[in-house]
Amino acid sequence: MSLSLSDPTWYPIASSEDLPFRHVYQGQLLGRELAVWRADDGNVNVWENRCLHRGVRLSIGINEGGELKCQYHGWRYANRSAGCTYIPAHPADAPARRIQNRTYPVREAYGLIWSSATDEQAFRPFPGAEGHDWFPLRPMPVNAAPEDVLAALVRLAPDDQPADLLPGLSVRFGGTYYFVQPVDAGRAVIRGLLREKPADELATLRHYNEILGKLRDRLERAAAKKPAPEPLQPAYDKVSADLATMPDIAVPRGNTITVVVKRKWVSADGVIGFELAARNGHLPTFQPGAHIDLHLPNGMTRQYSITNGPGELMSYIIGVKQESTSKGGSKVLVETVREGDLLSISEPRNNFPLRRDAIRTVLIAGGIGITPLLSMARFLDKSSLPYELHYFTRAGETTAFRSELEALHGKVIFHTGLPREQIAQTISDALGQWSMAQHVYVCGPGPMLETVRATAAAQGWPDESIHFEYFKNDKVIDNSSSFDVELARSAMTLHVPSGKSIMEVMREAGLTVPSSCEQGACGTCLTTVIEGEVDHQDVYLNDSEKRANSCMMTCVSRAKSARLVLDI
Amino acid sequence: MAITLYDFELSGNCYKLRLLMSILKLRYDIVPVDFYPGRQHKADWFLRLNPFGQLPVLQDGDLTLSDSGAILAYLARKYDETGLWFPDDPAITAEVLRWHAVADDITSTASAARLALGFFYDFDVEKAQKGAHRIFRLMDEHLWFGEKQGRDWLCSPAHPTTADIACFPYVMLSEEGGISRQDYPALRRWTDRVRRIPGFVVMSGIFPAGRALEDA
Amino acid sequence: MPSIDPTTRDLWQVIAATDEVPVGLVETTILLDTPLALTRDTDGNPVVWRRTDEEQGDEIDPETVLDRLPVITGYGYVWTSLGNPPRELFPIPEYAEPDRKNMSCGSIGIHVSAPRAVENFLDMGHFPYVHTDILGAEPHTEVKEYDVEVSEERDEVLATRCRFIQPRAAKSATSAMEVEYVYRVPHPFCSVLYKSCPEDESRRDVIAIFLQPMTEERCRAHLLQSMIDSESTITDLRRFQQTIFGQDKPILENQYPKRLPLDPRAETPIRADKSAIAYRRWLSQKGITYGVIPMAS
Repeated sequence: MSLSLSDPTWYPIASSEDLPFRHVYQGQLLGRELAVWRADDGNVNVWENRCLHRGVRLSIGINEGGELKCQYHGWRYANRSAGCTYIPAHPADAPARRIQNRTYPVREAYGLIWSSATDEQAFRPFPGAEGHDWFPLRPMPVNAAPEDVLAALVRLAPDDQPADLLPGLSVRFGGTYYFVQPVDAGRAVIRGLLREKPADELATLRHYNEILGKLRDRLERAAAKKPAPEPLQPAYDKVSADLATMPDIAVPRGNTITVVVKRKWVSADGVIGFELAARNGHLPTFQPGAHIDLHLPNGMTRQYSITNGPGELMSYIIGVKQESTSKGGSKVLVETVREGDLLSISEPRNNFPLRRDAIRTVLIAGGIGITPLLSMARFLDKSSLPYELHYFTRAGETTAFRSELEALHGKVIFHTGLPREQIAQTISDALGQWSMAQHVYVCGPGPMLETVRATAAAQGWPDESIHFEYFKNDKVIDNSSSFDVELARSAMTLHVPSGKSIMEVMREAGLTVPSSCEQGACGTCLTTVIEGEVDHQDVYLNDSEKRANSCMMTCVSRAKSARLVLDI
Repeated sequence: MAITLYDFELSGNCYKLRLLMSILKLRYDIVPVDFYPGRQHKADWFLRLNPFGQLPVLQDGDLTLSDSGAILAYLARKYDETGLWFPDDPAITAEVLRWHAVADDITSTASAARLALGFFYDFDVEKAQKGAHRIFRLMDEHLWFGEKQGRDWLCSPAHPTTADIACFPYVMLSEEGGISRQDYPALRRWTDRVRRIPGFVVMSGIFPAGRALEDA
Repeated sequence: MPSIDPTTRDLWQVIAATDEVPVGLVETTILLDTPLALTRDTDGNPVVWRRTDEEQGDEIDPETVLDRLPVITGYGYVWTSLGNPPRELFPIPEYAEPDRKNMSCGSIGIHVSAPRAVENFLDMGHFPYVHTDILGAEPHTEVKEYDVEVSEERDEVLATRCRFIQPRAAKSATSAMEVEYVYRVPHPFCSVLYKSCPEDESRRDVIAIFLQPMTEERCRAHLLQSMIDSESTITDLRRFQQTIFGQDKPILENQYPKRLPLDPRAETPIRADKSAIAYRRWLSQKGITYGVIPMAS
């Protein structure tokens, strides 16, 4: 029997005890090295033991509880998805969402960690597994071919208890089961399980350890007499083409996923919390500050920030403020959506990425603006990075997500019901004078953002250190320009006069153009630009997307050049 | 009184002393010795300090000491007020010295392989590697059973001793000698614990571990 | 034995620090999978030949070596070639300045290909993680935009305006400062770094790495420093350089695959990797196949 790189069998690759707190275990299966680690939430990750950047082993990296940090350049990869969430060399940018390491299926059962080289087969308990309190033996690595190891184990069976070969390189006799993990062509690990916990655990462990140790010595003496088998040569997957060419902008959002409303609760007066859970597996990687587009049942789309901490990918938790005014999007969500309902959301995108290289981070939240900042605080908290979170709410309101905030270790200060003049002073005191590597992140109502901007500037904070997230586009749109647009696919050229938006002109010409907020905040009308220089007036695209000049919001943005060519 | 360490940055044996002195918060001066390429450890002035021509050498006032294991014991006995790093109890002393002896075996195997591959010393690399694997297997077994009995360190007390300091560096640097630790998970877990000892410092070739439960 | 592409074969390759080659005794080494032997004559001139049955440390009269390989000395090192090398080595003019402290900091074996070691030398993003508290420290992790050019006339890759915040950029520094570097790759397996000199701001300290490709997956790193420093001893300066290289060694030895992949889809570059991308393309254009995994045709 020769080993195959694409063997779909599940084999045990570690003991549960091999994954203590914040450890990274170095394993191998069928010639492929694996980095195995347990996140703080208990989830076990089995990943290819190679950072995607320059191929350094992840097993020499650091388990930070929700993320794995590579030792070479500090890239962070999220629990569950193995998606890259932070690249320290470019702290201001959110990494392209699809930088994702290769993961292998995993199951923790019977005191062992099981994995497989492929996704083809679902995990099945071995025959006789159910209903017992399995007792794992000390694993015994052996430098011999896995099939030889199995044959030797079979010969261990006592005369009155015939050996029973099980599928997947394993054998049992009586209540003793041995699994042979095929590490490589000439290497294996014997992983034994006893069906019942023995009375004297230590003596039993020593007893089996001695037996297996002698077996190992015999096998290795025999193996030394033969030429060593060639090690298996796994191939490394190629990186996707768009990632190989250093993109400036993140992969454009487009994919929608269906989630189920697992929980809905009142967090505080006026704020409803929703837990949107994955239907199978986990949700896509996100970075702190990210938001999702939520497609409401009435056809509208609204953006909501993800409040989760690092590696928390089983569900996204969002907060929705009930607003009686505006176009009623949140009203629909709060009044008609129930627990158990299915909703359609986009993959996360991030206009508001968090730098993790600040000496001091100040987070300033006003009202529902707490949502992205709660995620940021959680990420900084997990990495023990310093921050101060100032949360302003109006008088008479209880603060949303109060218990989540109180669970953090950093400095969180609640300011409730402050009069306007005092808010400005509080912000000024909170910021202080700027010095190198300090950053402030603000999310809240327009006037508060303006107060922070003005105060920070007056206290020496440069533009690059002040980060805003707009939930609405409060900017005044300057629609005085006039220019032409050529619609490449529709084979028409339209003139856009001053006073009309590109979107309006297209609709007047009979085209169907999807939209939602129509103020340059939601991203629904995103259109690819083939030629021409865009005059961006939206708040949806980030700076590098705007510079790339390859897409635009037709509801508010216009042209600097005389002509634009759009991919419509 | 002034402690002076005659030191070479890339020497694991010198690092044992830098490590313990950092843990014990001792201040000391370093006299760098150009072991390579200068071969100053064979120069007359150095041979007067240590006729064996080996690093490290430690001077404390009028005292001149050599051999990393012996110096570890000296520093612990003289300066460790807790008495935990090299305890008085005769049985534990014997345990610690037993593992100091293993540390010397690790040096003559794992460190020899590292010197052969990195510095082109004329040693039998394969023999050194086989020897290191034999020791690591025994250590892994010892530590694995130790974990089962609630013991995190090489010796029986519930705290690390100089035995752990003595064995750690060339275990941690074993890959530079082509010796992988993939087959020794209990040994790997022990190296995490050593790297989390308060006052731990690195040497070139060793990286710090992530935070432990108590600190997180 | 793997084949050696013509470009690699015709290059000068470094094999030893001149002072470390014994006079009248055999020193053995490996270059491009080829066993070599070398010695120096009584005038100190190196002699290099393909090793037959000589052992390390044997006595030898260099006059008896008839079938010799080309030899040149430069920057304190002995260079040889298995093909037809150019007349001269690439230039490092600073080396000849009379007030320089020039030293070899050792020749250290690493289990990785020579091109991987060059790429690591060009990289700054790893400073806070690998050379913590020396060349970099969190939170100052940003690699700012820098410039890269490939000069056809000089046949080099050049990276300029490389800036990084360093905790102790100079002995006299008391707080973190931004340092500016220039990197040069004048030879497929050699790189030179220029750093502003703390003692004299108008001049630059030079640190170089010359890789001897022993096999496709093993090399020997020869470390050169050419410094303006009237205070530090050679021992001090060597110690610093060895500390840095000793920190890079385990990273390099934990990289897979060991040979440098030239296919752009093999690994994920970021903007900070501009010099690495240019270097990989330059190697491809030269037709180098030794120590690399060439692009699929």
